[in-house]
Amino acid sequence: MAILRRIKERFKKVMQRKKEPSKAKMPFIRKAEKEKLLKKIKKEALGTQETAIEKAKFSMPAAVRVAPPLLEELPWGYGGDKIVLQVRDPWWIHAYWEVTSQSLDKLRERLGDAFFNARRTLRVYDISQIIFDGTNAHRFFDIEINPEATNWYIDTGGPGRSWCVDIGLRLATRGEFIKIARSNTVYTPIEGPSWITDEEWMVPEEMFARLYGMGFGLGRSSPVGKAWQERIKRALFSGILASPGITSVSSPVKIPKERKFWLIVNTELIVYGATESDAKVTIQGKEIRLRPDGTFSLRFALPDGKQVIPVEATSSDGIDTRTITPIVSKETK
Amino acid sequence: MNKGYLCIVLHGHLPFVRHPEHEDFLEEDWLYEAITETYVPLIEVFEGLLNDKVDFRITMSLTPTLVSMLSDLLLQERYLKHINRLIELAHREVERTRWQPEFQNLAIMYLNNFCKARDIFERFSRNLVTAFKNFQDLGKVEIVTCGATHGYFPLMEVCRESVRAQIKVAVSHYESVFGRRPQGIWLPECGYQPGHDEILREVGLRYFFADAHGVLHGTPRPKYGVFAPVYCRGTGVACFGRDLESSKQVWSSIEGYPGDYYYREFYRDVGFDLDYEYIRPYIHPDGVRINTGIKYYRITGSENKQPYIPHLAREKAAEHAGNFMFNREKQVEYLYDFMQKKSIIVSPYDAELFGHWWYEGPMWLDFLLRKIYFDQKTISTITASEYLFQNPRNQVLVPSMSSWGWKGYSEMWLQGANDWTYRHLHKASERMTELARTFSHTHTDGLLQRALNQALRELLLAQSSDWAFIMGAGTHTAYAVRRTKEHILRFTNLYEQIKSNSVDEKWLQDLEYKDNIFPNIDYRVHQ
Repeated sequence: MAILRRIKERFKKVMQRKKEPSKAKMPFIRKAEKEKLLKKIKKEALGTQETAIEKAKFSMPAAVRVAPPLLEELPWGYGGDKIVLQVRDPWWIHAYWEVTSQSLDKLRERLGDAFFNARRTLRVYDISQIIFDGTNAHRFFDIEINPEATNWYIDTGGPGRSWCVDIGLRLATRGEFIKIARSNTVYTPIEGPSWITDEEWMVPEEMFARLYGMGFGLGRSSPVGKAWQERIKRALFSGILASPGITSVSSPVKIPKERKFWLIVNTELIVYGATESDAKVTIQGKEIRLRPDGTFSLRFALPDGKQVIPVEATSSDGIDTRTITPIVSKETK
Repeated sequence: MNKGYLCIVLHGHLPFVRHPEHEDFLEEDWLYEAITETYVPLIEVFEGLLNDKVDFRITMSLTPTLVSMLSDLLLQERYLKHINRLIELAHREVERTRWQPEFQNLAIMYLNNFCKARDIFERFSRNLVTAFKNFQDLGKVEIVTCGATHGYFPLMEVCRESVRAQIKVAVSHYESVFGRRPQGIWLPECGYQPGHDEILREVGLRYFFADAHGVLHGTPRPKYGVFAPVYCRGTGVACFGRDLESSKQVWSSIEGYPGDYYYREFYRDVGFDLDYEYIRPYIHPDGVRINTGIKYYRITGSENKQPYIPHLAREKAAEHAGNFMFNREKQVEYLYDFMQKKSIIVSPYDAELFGHWWYEGPMWLDFLLRKIYFDQKTISTITASEYLFQNPRNQVLVPSMSSWGWKGYSEMWLQGANDWTYRHLHKASERMTELARTFSHTHTDGLLQRALNQALRELLLAQSSDWAFIMGAGTHTAYAVRRTKEHILRFTNLYEQIKSNSVDEKWLQDLEYKDNIFPNIDYRVHQ
């Protein structure tokens, strides 16, 4: 049992980290603390990559283009009292709803003054393993909501249970609840392995715990990580591998810098000119194409040092040749 | 005699982005980049393996939206324009870098890549689906289907009719493209909701994949963890669980291979690095700088990026392939003692990870499949169908709701940034069901039938999980918001016109021209 619980906790952490979409932000820190924080960020960033990679699929330009506005907008509602539940994860469910003004008018008429003191309320019923008739829930709890709200995330605190929610009014005086709409039923998944085992497919606890950990790649129970490192070490000492190949030394995690000022300078050289349009021209011995009017223009990335750039033109009949040789030297200080 | 199996799954998907109404549409580049950097390199790898008579098995999902785009004449035409422009840029780069051999070598490498991409593209008559179909027909690749537009099923639970439509449209699309029935399905985002296996059975799908906890948290407890498939209670559809250890080695930024310092840096692109004037003709016509695909640096491990050195990266890819194989051997040996039977390790990845994000990914896969074939006897690659054929007796249980998204459930697609969409999506689903029922037996004439079919197309397009994902990821969400709204609005107008028997034919025609996916769709499947 204890093993399972431990693994379950680690699973929770793995899940929390999976595809973490928010970027790790780092406050301004001194160098000494940096190392420590970097390690931490690395840890948290496990799985960040998955979302980052998926995002990379949808590459976008740096600037935002302005699209023409939509001619229509989506309606606020569709005219009907309705509440819909969806499961977000084992603990949380989401509800969205619509309550028409007609229904509210009717209630106002019926309740009179009590209407104005009533609270807009979500009543959350735990209806696990029963056929709910409105009265037989195991328990329920109320969430008071803002009248303007149209959706809510509800912390059920109960994985592996069935839920149903009414939206309605709770009267201030008697605590009476008046239902406006009732939701569909949802089931929150369990957050760990099932306690139910299968006689025919029995597996000892200890064994299952190992398989369970392995499935999540938690490593300890599987022999993989360590053996590989040892093999690499052996290979290193015998000189088979050129560099240590353990992937954990590398990580693309970047530390966002607090101050972002920066400067990049590159130089390029443009060589251009003109000759007879049917002439043959080479630059540094390599033939280039002329434009129809006999002009040409070439662009080179210019590294430090001296470049000797002979430009040679030969007439189409091969009789005349002219060579001009610019010499360019570049130095960066 | 091997002791277990490795089932590599590559999930190939892009949302349907096709804008004939615009000359040049930025988001279409997602497809063009993926063709050049992922699909073509994968085809090259598989062809190389076939030429060298290396036996291998790969499972791929090619989503109906991706297949539709790859087979679309307009997009094919545009891809050719795109790759030609890149080839021109690469030529100029070869020239520009004349005095910097470390960069010129790379410019030549890209020039070769682009020319090869164009050659392969032309060789398959511009339709790369044919290439993958051939690999399937040769028995090396098993192509599974997916949701028609990659809708996230657990958040369609209140309108299962839409789940059914997503699946049925996908299956009949698959049949028309691949000339056979699909055996399995990649549930979009690996999103499984108990009960949806009933729909899979209805259409004859025999298996699907779930994330690790989908199986591990199944009831009752799975005896073999994720290392053997299970059958869903009541339906007998098989469910294969994802092995996170092998996933982590490729995905994760700590233990993961793609972060190696010798590998190519994804974020440095000449589209952003070079002089504006010079790069202007090769970026977006609006003048917005974009990625071109020419990237000269390696990850390096510091801000001062060093030039990429292809042969060192290649060595790394080989080494990482060796590491991956070694780990799987150990895993399988261990499991064999433990389980007393041959295990299956399911390692699914986004196909677009290979080549696009992880430039060396296809190379790694090539090394891996060769090494597995030549260098050891402990593991073999296998497809899910083959494993089921060899191991028909499996435990029966109810898998748990799960996805492979952030935190393992539905939060990626259900959070503050995108939860507003479900109110509209569900309403549209409800209305589509109403239409399908109203007109299920009546004979529908040309125009009405066209309107009904187009209504279903618009609904499906609105349901793509990609829109919610982009909204949730939080950068450049405008396009995703717009697509969601546009399709819902188009659906709503169609619905109202159908109900009032006043279909505007000219407008409908325009929609059919723009959103031309699934030409043979039948609205009746939405029930």
